[in-house]
Amino acid sequence: MTALKFALVLVALVTFVAGQLWFKRAMEASQQFDFGGAFARRFIPGLVSMTVSFFLTLGLLQHLDLSYLYPFQGLSVIMICVLGALLLKERLTLQLIIGSFLISLGVVLVSLS
Amino acid sequence: MAVFRWLANPWLQIALTAIIVTASELFLKLGARATASLTTPFWAWGISGLASAWTWLGIVFVILSLVSWLYVLRHIPLSIAFPLSNVVHVLVPLSCWFFLGETISLRRWCGIALVLTGLIIVAAPLARIEEKL
Repeated sequence: MTALKFALVLVALVTFVAGQLWFKRAMEASQQFDFGGAFARRFIPGLVSMTVSFFLTLGLLQHLDLSYLYPFQGLSVIMICVLGALLLKERLTLQLIIGSFLISLGVVLVSLS
Repeated sequence: MAVFRWLANPWLQIALTAIIVTASELFLKLGARATASLTTPFWAWGISGLASAWTWLGIVFVILSLVSWLYVLRHIPLSIAFPLSNVVHVLVPLSCWFFLGETISLRRWCGIALVLTGLIIVAAPLARIEEKL
C-alpha cells in the first residue's frame, strides 16, 4: 500500500469519528425537541464529515479488498470511547475500556491478514 | 405489533443497524468491483463507482443504516452503542467469505474471535442492568 493510500485511509477514519460525535450531539439536541438551530448546527457538519468519509472509502474500495480496508475503521472504537468521555461527558467504565481495546485489537488483526 | 415493539427497542436497533451496514458494504464492494477498470481523475473519490447500480443500492442501504443509527444514538450513549455496532467487523468478513468468496486466514479468524470477546465484555454489564429493570 502506498503512503498516499494509507493517508487517505486515515482521513476517512478521522472524518468518520468526527461525524459520529456530531451525530450524537445532534440527537441530544433532538431529545429536547430542538430541531432548529442546535440540531442543524450539529447534524449538517456530521453529515458533511460522513459524506467525505463515505466517498473516500468508496474510492479506496476500488483498489483494496473490502475485508482489508474496512477494519481500519475499528481503530475508531478507542477514539470514540475516549472522545465520548472527554467531549460528551459519557461514562468510561473499566469494562468499556477493556472491551473496546479487545475490539480494536481484533479489528486490526482482521485487517492485517 | 410485536415487530414494532422490537423495532422500538434501541438495543435491537443496534443489531439491525449492523445488518444493514453489512449489506451496504457488500453492495458497495460489488459496485466498486464492477467499476474498478474505469480510470478517472480524482479516482480516490470513487465517483466512477456511481456508474454501477450496486453502488446506488449500497447508498440506499447506507441512508437506511443512518436512520436506524440516529435512533440508537437518541437513546444510548455513543461510547456504548459504537463499540457494540462493531459487530459489523465480524459480520463483514464472514459475509465476504460467504457471498464474495474472499478468504479468511487463521489470523483473521483470531481477530474475529477477539472482536467477539470484546463485544461480550462491553455487553455483559448492560445485560445485567436490563435484567434488573
